[in-house]
This record gives sequence, C-alpha cells and structure tokens, in this order.
Amino acid sequence: MNKFDYYRANTIEEAIQYLDEFDKDIKIIAAGTDLVVRLKQNMVKEKHILDISRIRELKGIYREDGKIHILPLTTHSEILESEEVKKYATVLREACSTIGSPQIRNRGTLGGNVANASPAGDSISALFAEEAKLKLLSSEGERVISIEDFFTGPGKTVLKTNEMLVDIFMPEMTEKEIGFFKKLGQRNALAIAVVNVSVKLGRGEEKNKMDKAVVAFGAVAPTVVRGERVEKALISESLDSPEKLRYIAQLAWREVSPISDVRASLKYRQDMSINLLYEGLLELYKNNWKG
Amino acid sequence: MEKFKHIGKVEKRVDAEEKATGRIKYMSDLSFPDMLWGKVLRSRYPHALIKKIDTSKAKALKGVVAVVTWKDVPGLNGFGIVVPDQPVLCEDKVRYIGDAVAAVAAETKEIAEEAVKLIDVEYEPLPVVDDPIKAMEPDAPKVHDDGNIHLHTQIKRGDVDKAFKEADLIVEHTYRTGRQEHMFLETESGVAKLEEDGTLSVYAGSQYPQRDQLQLSRCLGLNPRKIHVVSYPVGGAFGGKDELTIQPILGLLALKTKRPVKIVMSREESMISYWKRHPMIMKYRTAVKKDGTLIANEVKIYADTGAYASLGGPVLNLAVEHSCGPYRLDNVRIDGYCIYTNNGVAGAFRGFGVPQVTFAMETQMDIIAEKLGIDKLDLRRKNALRRGDTTPIGNKLTTSVGTIAVLDGVKQTDIWKNKDNIERVDHNRPWIKRGVGIALTSQGAGLGIGLPDYGGAILRFRADGGFTVGVGLVDYGQGIGTSFAQIVAETMKCPISKVDVILGDTDLTADSGPTSASRGVYTGGRASVIASKRMMRILKNKASDMLNVSEDQLEVDNATFYVKEHPDIYVTYEQIALEFLKEGKSLPKTEGYFLAPIADIKIKDAFGLPHNIFSFSAHLAVVEVNELTGKVKVLEGAEVVDGGTVINRQGFEGQVEGGYVMGLGYALTEDVLIDKGLFKTLNFSTYIIPTSKDVPSKIQTVPVIDPEETGPYKAKGIAETVMCATAPAITNAIYDAAGIRIFKIPATSEYIYTLLKEKEKKEYADSH
Repeated sequence: MNKFDYYRANTIEEAIQYLDEFDKDIKIIAAGTDLVVRLKQNMVKEKHILDISRIRELKGIYREDGKIHILPLTTHSEILESEEVKKYATVLREACSTIGSPQIRNRGTLGGNVANASPAGDSISALFAEEAKLKLLSSEGERVISIEDFFTGPGKTVLKTNEMLVDIFMPEMTEKEIGFFKKLGQRNALAIAVVNVSVKLGRGEEKNKMDKAVVAFGAVAPTVVRGERVEKALISESLDSPEKLRYIAQLAWREVSPISDVRASLKYRQDMSINLLYEGLLELYKNNWKG
Repeated sequence: MEKFKHIGKVEKRVDAEEKATGRIKYMSDLSFPDMLWGKVLRSRYPHALIKKIDTSKAKALKGVVAVVTWKDVPGLNGFGIVVPDQPVLCEDKVRYIGDAVAAVAAETKEIAEEAVKLIDVEYEPLPVVDDPIKAMEPDAPKVHDDGNIHLHTQIKRGDVDKAFKEADLIVEHTYRTGRQEHMFLETESGVAKLEEDGTLSVYAGSQYPQRDQLQLSRCLGLNPRKIHVVSYPVGGAFGGKDELTIQPILGLLALKTKRPVKIVMSREESMISYWKRHPMIMKYRTAVKKDGTLIANEVKIYADTGAYASLGGPVLNLAVEHSCGPYRLDNVRIDGYCIYTNNGVAGAFRGFGVPQVTFAMETQMDIIAEKLGIDKLDLRRKNALRRGDTTPIGNKLTTSVGTIAVLDGVKQTDIWKNKDNIERVDHNRPWIKRGVGIALTSQGAGLGIGLPDYGGAILRFRADGGFTVGVGLVDYGQGIGTSFAQIVAETMKCPISKVDVILGDTDLTADSGPTSASRGVYTGGRASVIASKRMMRILKNKASDMLNVSEDQLEVDNATFYVKEHPDIYVTYEQIALEFLKEGKSLPKTEGYFLAPIADIKIKDAFGLPHNIFSFSAHLAVVEVNELTGKVKVLEGAEVVDGGTVINRQGFEGQVEGGYVMGLGYALTEDVLIDKGLFKTLNFSTYIIPTSKDVPSKIQTVPVIDPEETGPYKAKGIAETVMCATAPAITNAIYDAAGIRIFKIPATSEYIYTLLKEKEKKEYADSH
C-alpha cells in the first residue's frame, strides 16, 4: 500500500479547511468499503486521506417541505430501518437492500456510494428514479445539482477538489407514485450488478395511463443513464397489456451502451436491460392496475 | 445392532471452542522473535524462456536480508507428488503465470513486496498453449520437452462396436466443466524456522505432513529427520493443500537467513499460483436397449492439467474409473488424456475427477430416461452395480455397495415425495419455471492400487487416566479429529472428554497417509481402533493384577474396570495410571497400523486404479428458472448418502450440506477464467462462490448405511461423494423446469439465457 497522511475532520467546517489546504491532493474517506480496497491496490494517488466519518451533522434522515433528506453519511442499514424511507423513497429502499452484505450495509454510506460514482452503483440508479438532488459545498459556497448531472464517467464526477457532498434529497413519493428497483447480479448477495433498473411511475387519472415516468439503468454505460425513450412511451401509451409493456421495454435497447467484461457480455446486458425492465413493469401492472 | 455410546451420536466438535472463540492459532497467526517476511516473485508471462535474472537491486534495498533464485536451491529443484516436475524456483523457463522465479526475505512485509519489484528478469515470451485439444496436436508449442500429453489412460472391455450395432438408442453429447477453485479461507501461508539443533521447522497448513517432509528433504537436500513439519491447524484445504505450496520457498529462505521467515499469500497470489479442479472436455456415446439396459459406453476425456503434473495423472484416472457411473456396463472404451497447457496448474480437489464425469454421465442418464420414457429412479436401479458385480473397468466389487439402499432412500426424501405437487409454472409470475432433478454417484475411497494405503495411530495413556491419540491426518474442517476422539472413546470405553487428539505433526503423530480420497475415517479410524484394542489389553491386564481377579471376570465401562459379579470392586483408569507410575514404569503407548485391502485386478498403465471401497450418494434439487434472465435459484436440496456407519451425526450433516453448497457453486457460478494464460478472476469479487442467500434453506440429509466390514465400526467415508452429483442434480432439474439441456458448467445465468433464446428460436422455426 502506498503511504499517505491521515486526517480526521469532526465538523463540515474543518473538512472544508482540509480540502482547501491540500487542494487536489486529498481524498475523502467515509466508510471506506470501496476506498480501502482501492488503497490496497495502490489505485489512490492522493497523498492525504480525509476521514469524514465522525462528522455528526452529515448523518441522518429527515423530511422538509415535501422533500426527504438523507444526509451522506447515513448508512444503507439506517436507510433500510427508516420509516420515512419506507414510505417516501421505496425505490431507494429496495436498492439499498441489495447492496453488498449486512456487514457492508452497516458500514457503507449513501454519500460514499454516490461519490464513488460506479456505473453499477445500486443506490445511484435508484436516486435517478427518485429524482434526487445533491448539495455540494466548498469554501466558495454551495450549489445544488441534479443527480443526473453529477457523473461524468466511471468514478468521475463534477465534484471539485475543494468541494464535498453535504446533502442528498428527493421529492417524497406520493400515494399515486409507485416504482421498483431490479438488479441482476451473479449471486444474491455481495454482488455487483450485471444490470440494474430503477423505475418510478405516477398514476394518471385515466385507466392504464401514467402521467409520470422516471427510468434509470445501471452497469450498461459509463455512468448510470436515464431511459428517456422508455419514459416517453410509458407516459404516452395506454399500459393495458403485458404485450404493450414488453414492447415499451424493448426501447431499452436504445438507451444503453454496455460493454463486455468478466461478469457479462455486451449482448446479455442489452437484453437484460429490456427484460429486467419488463419483469418489473409486469409485476407493477399485475399488482396495481391490471383490469 | 451393537449399542454405541459415542459412534453415530451428535457430538460437539473437539475443536469447537477454540475455533468459535478465535483462540486457535492458525499458521498465518504465528509469530516468532526476529521473524522476517518472505515474498515470492511470480512470472510475468504464462510461457517464456528466462534469459537472465538480476537480483542486485533487490539485494541492495535496505531491510532485505536474502534474495534467492534457482541457484540457491540446495537439493532437487523440483516438487510434485507423482513427478517432481515443478521447479521450486524457475531456472530457464516459466510455464504459467504463477510460476515462482525468485523470493525475498526482508525485515517487513512492505520491504519484501518492494524488493521483488526490483528483481530484473529478462524473458523471451513463447507462444501460449491454452487449449487442451490443440495442445495435443503434434506441432503445438511444447510446455514440457517430452510433449503436452502427460498421460493417456485407456480402458477397453467387451465388444463396444457390436453393442452399438445392437443398440435401440444411442445418446451422444460433449460436456464441459469449469475450473473450480477451493477458496479455503486461509490462503497458503506459514512460517519456517531453523531450530538451535539444526532442525528446520515448517509450520504450514497442509494435508500430509510426512509426505511434505519427504518432498522438502529432496528439495532442500536435508535429512528428513531434520525437518519437522506441522500441518495442523489449517484453515481449509479441500485438496488444495495436498501438494506442496509455499513450503519449499519458506524452507529455503529460513535456511538462507537462519531466521524465522513468514509468508502469507494474498488471495490474488493464491489464485494464480496453485491448484484448481481440472476443467474437462468429455465426449460421451452411450448405447442402450429399449428396456433401459445400458449396453456400451464410449468415453473420451480431455483434462487440462495446466503447467505441471502434480496429481493430474491420478485425477484423470479417477475420472476414467468413474466415467460410467455406478452402473453395470460390460462394453466400454474409455480414453483419457491429461494434457499440459499454460493455464495455471490443476491438481487435487474434493471429488478428484469424479464431479466432472458424474456431470456428464448423469446427464446422459437423464436424457436416456426421458427418451425411453422410463422413470429416472427405475432406470438407475435397473443398471446399478450391486455387490459381487464387475465394474465397468473390470474389477469385482467385494465390499459394501450402497446403490440400491441409496435409491430406496431417495423415496424417503421430501423432494421425491412432493415432486408431483410443485407449482411448475409460477401462478403470478409465469416466466418462473420449476423442476426437480436427481443424480447418482459413487466415489472410490483411498489411494487405489499402486500406492500402499495405510492408516497409522499412536495412542498414549496419560497420568490422568485419559488418552492422547496422534494421527498424521489433518482436520481441515471435515471434523476428523472429533471422529477419532469418538472412535477412541468408544473402543476405550471412556468419555470423549478423556481423549485428546493430535493431528498433522511429523514428530507427534503416526504416518497415516494423505488426508484425501475420503480415506481419513476409514484408515486413521481403523488404526485408532487397532491401537485402542492393544491399549485395552494392556490396561485390562493391569486391572486384573490390581484387583486380583482373572481378566475374564472383568467388565469395563466409563473408564473403570469392575468385577462382573461384584461391581463394587473396581479400579479406574486413573488409578491404573498411578499404579504404572508408582512402579516406576512409563505409561503405556500403543500403535495401530492398518494396511487397507485392495482390489482384485490391476489395470495396466492406470496408476491408482481400481479402488476397492466406494461410497455412494444420490443428490436431488428443486430449482426455479427465471426465463427472462436465465437466473436459477435452488429452492431445496437433498442427499441420500451411504458412507457406511456414520461416526458423528452432526459432522455427517455438516459434510453433506457443505458438499451440496460446493456442488451448487460448481454447477452455477464458480469458474476461474483464464484467457491466453492470464487470470481474469482473481478474488471473491469475480470468482463467485455461493453466499447464504444463494443456498436453499433446506438441504435434507438422509444417511443410509451399507456397513463396510473392514472399516472402523463399519464406516467408509463421505467427504467427496457428497459434492460429486450436486451439479447434475441441479442441471437435470433445470431441464425439468425449462426444457433446456445443460452441457457445460458452470451454467451461469447468461449461459442459461442463451440456451433459452436458442430454444425459443428453434420452437419458432419449427412452428413456421
């Protein structure tokens, strides 16, 4: 392992100071479930590591003005235990339940998962469907951006070197809204997604109609991607049969640009983008609005 | 049947507390004053000539104490259980990416890691041999000078061509299996230390300390008596620590530096460096009569043994021996090839060639049953070997044969009872299909003809009236130490708490052969019985003296001799021990040696064949297949097992469940992927073993006992058979569920999805 200096911040203010001090040569560690592995593989070039895990103000879940806020150091287990999440962010909850193992969920944080920026990040895909926004803070001020605008490539984000993620928030799901998270992994725990799909739908007034659809795919492009063609079809069509859902799901072909790797081939990932979406839509259809 | 106090009961493992509390010290935990850390430089290429090795920069690094290359190997620069063709450190050629080229001992682990990077090796890369079939072609690049075919084993019996002409049905398919890794929790690790008297102590988990000692003596040029090997405790082995691993390099570094040297391998280094299960390509052609009678089998087996021999030959031979399953077949033509490639190294692994051929043969059986419309159990029963029969390779079965007992036992399993009531198509999710599968297997136990197969045990009587039994075998999870404690306690008529067990130590235990081949309980257990009976005679004699009655008037129970007619006249073992000491005598020590019986014929050129003792098992699975994703979930499992008498009921269940889960991984996910000699799956992130979420919540274990007279308390062994037929049970269930035949394992979700698509396409074409 390469040598590095370790710093620990106890407040956001302290953390921002460290970021300024070691500009461009500092890496933030939250729980370390990804970073420690990368450190061991000598894949971290920064000479300074800033531990933010003790910053209490970055932990917790609360509701405010129709939004649910999940602060970045909240663990996946805490998300799973939260009554608010169970009611108002069900897609995210489903995603968190599939992450790693109990040990990893007890330690890994939502903010860490987001900042790690894996194209296969399960919570990231769900946050797309939840229409989440991120608050970024630096000594120069704060900015709020949509989750979709955060990622620029595998492991790459728009976060500046002096900036940190301080809040993740999303609109509360209403009674009209339903959704799902589906993941295909090589096994049922401790699995990196071969493909994941997150969907949120808003039921329309008319039978078989939706007035809202947000769809995201993970592990099928350099970042998690929105499925805009699928969304448009879900809103404009009458979702009145499995065949219709199948037809719409096939549009996923036009949304994804996967690669082949040791876990799966390009072709399989393409097909699974369609089939996971189809399976999830079909289950929603049968349980919610089938005639 | 005899009533036992300990045999067949649920007994707490003798090592349960030290393992559950973490108090036990594995070799990776050992630390000595002044200890150095070792690190091995592995090859940069899967196949290359070594032109020059320059260690000067590494030697110059502060904190480096020694850098060794082939020049420093004092003895034979080679190891290997059968043929010592694997260099301790390569001299002029590397044959796989894990080949060891040099090693460093340094003050810290970090310095050692830094130092190996400073060793300059000049290579001349050679073409990589990565396809075993192509490797057999005469113009293929050679891994070893004398060609790439390490072994060709051929068995011919009867008139195969005539039988195929008379067949009503011929089933012909090619099967492929993956490269399974043992994935023991503790990687190959240990410490070597030069003692003050010049003895070299080698602490490294392995499966046969006395053989390690001999192999080390040859590499290091040392009198074997000057090498003390401690191979227990070991954090899992499954066959992967049968051969030497890092021991010769550890020994070399300790001799060179005269300080203790420790190596703990990373998972990634372990993955590329040592043994895997042989991937096999198997071509089967089976001839059957309308009534289901098997009349001929033609089998070709190609086993990829990687760069060095190790146990590749014997593994191939077991595959040959078991290739026709536990069935009567009088016309067979079997050709097995064990082939060198640059694909890592393959060697011993639980099942030892049998899981591969069982997958092939049991799929053939499933296809035959379906084509002929015969019940799967009936087909197997019709053809099953019985005691007195001649096996497909020609030896007569004179020992316990549990095929029929096992097949009868299948009917008692919940899976079989409920098989017609499962919801074959999920009501709510019609893309989920369910099915049931079954497979039968047998496993030859012991070393087979050609290798003397024996068990040894030393039993020491202690001052507290208890016993210490020393057996050279090793408990690597299967619970053999507890079995020996039970066997000694039963024979010595004393509580288990009075028996201590010492395993795997060249100084303290008797050579009992390798802990492999499902032979531990059979050989070591029988030797323990023999040693115990000798001890009992000595103690009884002493008791008779002390109580002044003749021996035939004595009864023994609960570590006490008493007079039959007057139970109030007694003497305890502890009192007997005191009496020995009072008389100034040393406490008695007995030894038991047992030479295992062997089969009636010998097969030319087939080292280790045939076997004489066999265990049998039937495996069952209920699966569901998701037709949208190809994902398979095993909903329920069961095994019916004949390993003779069960020694520890809880240990039996643990073995069966563990074997089933290992077989499940073999069936569905586990495969070390190698591309042009380079590993693609280096750790648990990409080498996919099942987690608790991937295994069925219920694996029913049904022991059926066909007693084996020559075994301890009529036991045989179950260690391997319990994993050998799980894969075909699962793949046959996948066929039952979704109508797709699996000819290649692991049957990953993607592979199954591909087969489903092909089936869909074919059905579409057929209907238009």
